[in-house]
Amino acid sequence: MNASFLLFTLLNTGFVLLVSPLFMSLIKKVKAYAQGRKGPSLLQGYFDLHKLMQKEVVYSPNSSEIMRITPYLNLAVLLLATLFVPIVFIPDAPEGIGNIIVFLYLLAIERFFTALCGLDAGSTFGGMGSSRLMSLSAVIEPTMIIAFAALAYVLKTVNFHEMFAITAGSTIPESPTLTLISISLFIIIIVETGRLPVDNPATHLELTMINEAMILEQSGKNLALIELAHAVKQTILMAVLINILAPLGLATELTFTGLVVSCLYFLIKASLLAGVIGLFESSLAKMRLFRLPGFYMMAFFFSALTILMEVFA
Amino acid sequence: MIILSYLAVGAVSLALILLSKSHRTMNAFSILHTLSFLAIGLYALLTTVVPTFEAGSEYFYVDHLSIYEVLIAALLFFLASVYANGYVESLMQAHELHRSNLKIFYMASSLLLTTVTLAFLSDNLALFWIFAELTTVFSAALVAILSAKENIDAAFKYIFIASGAMLFSFIGLIFLYTLSGEVLGSGTLNWTVLTANATLLSPKMLAASFVFLFIGFAAKSGIFPFHTWLPDAHSKAPSAVSAILSGVLLNVGMYGILRMYAIVRQTQAEHLVSQFLMGFGLLTVAVAVLNMLLQRNLKMLIAFSSMEHMGIILLGIGVGTPLALFWTLFYVLAHSLTKASLFFSAGILHRQYESNLIQDMRDVLSLQPVAGWGFIIGSFAIIGMPPFPIFSAKLFILLEAFGFSKSLVFAVLLLLVIASAAFARFLIEAFSRSSKDTGTGELETPLLPYRVRKGMKFPILFIIFMILALGVFFPESLENLLNEIVYELGYL
Amino acid sequence: MIFSFLTDPAFLEDIVRILFVFVLITAAFILSTRNIASLLTVYTVQSLLLVLIAVSLYLIEGSQTLLAIAALTLVSKVLLIPIFINLIGEKIKISRDLKFNYMEPTASLVVSIALILLAYVFLSGFFNEVVLGKLFFIGAVIGLSLTLMGMLVIFSRRKMITKVIGYLTMENGVLLFGIFVADLPFIIEILIVIDLMILVLLTTILAIGLDSTREQYHQRLHTLKIWSGRED
Repeated sequence: MNASFLLFTLLNTGFVLLVSPLFMSLIKKVKAYAQGRKGPSLLQGYFDLHKLMQKEVVYSPNSSEIMRITPYLNLAVLLLATLFVPIVFIPDAPEGIGNIIVFLYLLAIERFFTALCGLDAGSTFGGMGSSRLMSLSAVIEPTMIIAFAALAYVLKTVNFHEMFAITAGSTIPESPTLTLISISLFIIIIVETGRLPVDNPATHLELTMINEAMILEQSGKNLALIELAHAVKQTILMAVLINILAPLGLATELTFTGLVVSCLYFLIKASLLAGVIGLFESSLAKMRLFRLPGFYMMAFFFSALTILMEVFA
Repeated sequence: MIILSYLAVGAVSLALILLSKSHRTMNAFSILHTLSFLAIGLYALLTTVVPTFEAGSEYFYVDHLSIYEVLIAALLFFLASVYANGYVESLMQAHELHRSNLKIFYMASSLLLTTVTLAFLSDNLALFWIFAELTTVFSAALVAILSAKENIDAAFKYIFIASGAMLFSFIGLIFLYTLSGEVLGSGTLNWTVLTANATLLSPKMLAASFVFLFIGFAAKSGIFPFHTWLPDAHSKAPSAVSAILSGVLLNVGMYGILRMYAIVRQTQAEHLVSQFLMGFGLLTVAVAVLNMLLQRNLKMLIAFSSMEHMGIILLGIGVGTPLALFWTLFYVLAHSLTKASLFFSAGILHRQYESNLIQDMRDVLSLQPVAGWGFIIGSFAIIGMPPFPIFSAKLFILLEAFGFSKSLVFAVLLLLVIASAAFARFLIEAFSRSSKDTGTGELETPLLPYRVRKGMKFPILFIIFMILALGVFFPESLENLLNEIVYELGYL
Repeated sequence: MIFSFLTDPAFLEDIVRILFVFVLITAAFILSTRNIASLLTVYTVQSLLLVLIAVSLYLIEGSQTLLAIAALTLVSKVLLIPIFINLIGEKIKISRDLKFNYMEPTASLVVSIALILLAYVFLSGFFNEVVLGKLFFIGAVIGLSLTLMGMLVIFSRRKMITKVIGYLTMENGVLLFGIFVADLPFIIEILIVIDLMILVLLTTILAIGLDSTREQYHQRLHTLKIWSGRED
């Protein structure tokens, strides 16, 4: 554990925590414009978090410790996952940090505890959301694994840090397979963060909720932490896509100008990607729940083709 | 010369049918068409030097096998046209066939005869492929001519399965082309060139391209597992058309397989391919026979019987010895004729009872003696009783197969017994039923005998006479012809 | 020159690889969609992709037949046949193909992956003796896979118009296979024949009014009096 890595920990996590709510608001803004209205301001995410922090936390008498620790646990796990995805610069990381399999498992832990938390309060909607989430995640797992496997196969490493080091500096992806993999990654972002057409994040109707249903019982600080965790997940998944597809500007060494340049470039690219996600969401309607496995199957087919193409051609 | 004359006659007949107004004239032109094809074929056989290339190009090739098949086709079409004279008239009276479709019917059958002939005469496998596809289209049109929902469904099923399988055949053609290109410098699909250079071709690739080609041709011939279109199409088509489908079109597929096998036979892939063919032949016979047992529909019974015979022909081709080939070729002739007579009789029965089912048939022998006895004799012939020709053909094929695998022969014999039982069961149940013994006391309306129109009895009687003659007395000219074919295909 | 990279073989090969993946994706869409209109659009896109592949291959190889094939495919499959099918769809209102015959889309996609692997194994055991370039080999595999997936469409769908599209997909697969495996002058004639056949089929469907939801067409097809009893 050297100084560069320590600095990386602080800078990376700090940066991600700082900009995540911005991207969430940006997506909402783009969707609002697409719907012909102005939408909330870009800083609304921060204001919401601030407001929630002031409020009182109320626990249902039926809930257990899970309800109390999940928000903290989620945020902690996701911040750990942030270490795996270098955004400000690529550090000299210890063995194991950056491994894509561990990354997948960290995301899984977060999902698992959210699902448990939804069941915890004993309300029907929470349980419904949890069961939906679990069954749908099970179907998207193969796609995620194959997309990451394809990535590993193309870039010949299972470590994100090394992957970004390889792609860093080039403007366009070298291998055509990377373009195809980015499409898979985009679909994974949509699915993992619960965006249309999988799940409508702005819905008020409990029967249409998947993600929202599980956090219905949360309040005050806990809700703020969960929202923040969700935003962090969004940001790091976007970062994976960005750094694979267009890693221009990612600093490979620790220099001050490099850092600033990296942050700026990332802001720009991620804002663009957030805009694309917003537009994509605005152009689709939510799919029926039972049709989702078909959609996931298409994504799986696509990823399988990509990896077949890479392996055999 | 020969090709040109075939083309010319075909075109002229088509034009004449297009211009005719009444059913009589259309039918007359149709009969003339078939007769002229027969004449040209016989002329080719007897006078010109065969084998020969035609039209100055490498695309058409007339050898004894082609002429043989063309003659069988023309003969069958002739009989079917004669039969159709009365049958189609009767269908129109019963409003099952609309008057407006009559012209399409005759045009399609004229085109079918021409394309079948051209298919048999092609040297280039791609050309053969094109003509085979065209025959699928025209015969499907004939199946669908009675505009009933079942017919349309059967016709579409036929087109999709046959054409889809032919696409796989096309992949096989591409393989063959590449393969020959490797060895001979420039790729070729001409059968003559391929047989001449068969030993140079790589056996493994040849076997693989054979498998692909087999898929398409087997689907045309109703081999398992591509047979699913056959029962529907053959039973729901009008009987004149069914006779043609069973007697001519199934031969087109077999012709393709035979030609390809003649090439494969000269290489080391022979053993594998031979077993492959025998296996499929056995499976086809098994599936056909087991289905026959369950049938209550007369024409479906006959259709499955066609499938069974195709299985045995495939077996005969697979055995691959010269003697087996000789008798397989004879089998083709015997089967086409016998099957046609069965369908013609079934057609008359259909017109009588307005149904093909066992339960609707009564007093067959008293109401329709010709058709009834024709059917009985035809059944005896088709299951392989002596003195009919199918008996000798089957006997020798199985004898040759005995040398390859005893268990195979026993299995086939068992299946043949079951097939005979199926026919027997149907016959006994249907033909022994009489309106006197109703048993249930319900009133059975007395059936008026259907007045068989002229031209419908003649083909049945003619065929019965022919197959008896063939079975008892094997003409020497036929023997010479078949020997020539065996020799030309490279078996001796 | 800006266009120099257009003729760079490595770049073109990459493009062709990406096009391959998209061709199979279109086939997967055809397998799983329920909407007849989108079926036709996807088929048009697939044919267009084929034209692009032929053109790219022409830029790599330089054989004139490829250009002819591209032109022919463009005219017949991207323009003529879709227009024709649209005509049919308008005249006889075809409803959505809601019923799948034997396989739900999820299962057919899994089977498709199995078929692709099968095609790969079969062809690799085969082209050992004939040394084909890597790209051409993959082209052959994709062609064969497309044919098999088209066959799957024919078997797993009920409506006639979907089966016709499945057959057309099979034909696209064979065309793709042919482009990559051999330089075939006669492939053009064969394609013309097949396309004519399809046009005849489509005209028949139009004339008879299969798949139609309108009652007048249902009455046109009477059931023959005699059909009952043992049938497949």
